[in-house]
Amino acid sequence: MKRGELLGSLEHIILLALVRLDDGAHGMIVRREIEERTGRNISIGAVYATLERLEAKGYVSSFTGEPTPQRGGRAKRLFRVQSAGKRALQISEQTIRSLTADLEGRWETI
Amino acid sequence: MKRYSLPAFACRLFESVLPGRYREAMLGDLIEEYTLRIESTSPLTASRWFWSQACRSVPSMVCSSMRSGNCFISMSVAMGVYILMATLKFAADLMISKLAGPETTHLALAPIVFLTTTAIGGCVAARIRRGATIFLALIVMITVVVLIDFKVCSIPVPWWYQFGFLTLGPLAVIITPALLGAYSDS
Repeated sequence: MKRGELLGSLEHIILLALVRLDDGAHGMIVRREIEERTGRNISIGAVYATLERLEAKGYVSSFTGEPTPQRGGRAKRLFRVQSAGKRALQISEQTIRSLTADLEGRWETI
Repeated sequence: MKRYSLPAFACRLFESVLPGRYREAMLGDLIEEYTLRIESTSPLTASRWFWSQACRSVPSMVCSSMRSGNCFISMSVAMGVYILMATLKFAADLMISKLAGPETTHLALAPIVFLTTTAIGGCVAARIRRGATIFLALIVMITVVVLIDFKVCSIPVPWWYQFGFLTLGPLAVIITPALLGAYSDS
């Protein structure tokens, strides 16, 4: 992750969901996890588009699962967070934490 | 477990329309979730959820494909088919103008020629490359907007006539290949 470059909000949320789900989560599981935890009803297309972007950045890797009849014979694409992704998450968290530190008293005036 | 029929037309439609590397995985996810939802809710609710998810996914997948540069071939295919369509329509218009006399006859025949050429164009584009139809539909839509803006038609026509061209043209490009199952296997 380049200095000063932060994760986008959806990238951040999806990476966190992947970390929570451990290894090998597919798009719909990620979408469901986000919906359950945040109430955001995002589209599956947005999840895959973000995962594709994260993969291009080297933050996640993916592999193909077995096709099943429940999926109309289509294979799953499973994603896992790479160490670069974990580092990017840490940097994002640190940045947000340092910017929000000592702001408690100001929330009422914002 | 009781088996339900999948929204087959929706699957075929999005299979031919969606660009992107993860199209197959995404459709698989949608089908799997649809099957789970149909058990817990009703077929109507599950179908509504499927259509809403699939339609909302199109812009994200198109943007992602454009950003990653994967869309270049699809766009080139769409442009090539568009030129073919324009040539076909021009030839048909020329033939009609020689055979039919008054301009009102042209107005009546124009939608038929337009929809036929867009439907053929959609099938050809989908047959060459999946995902090209969405770009072809966009090109058709832009062309109609430009033609309406430049007031190409010399006879005044009602708004619904122009609106028909604007909506039915791109729809014919997208829906016909799914209806006929005319899309490439790759």
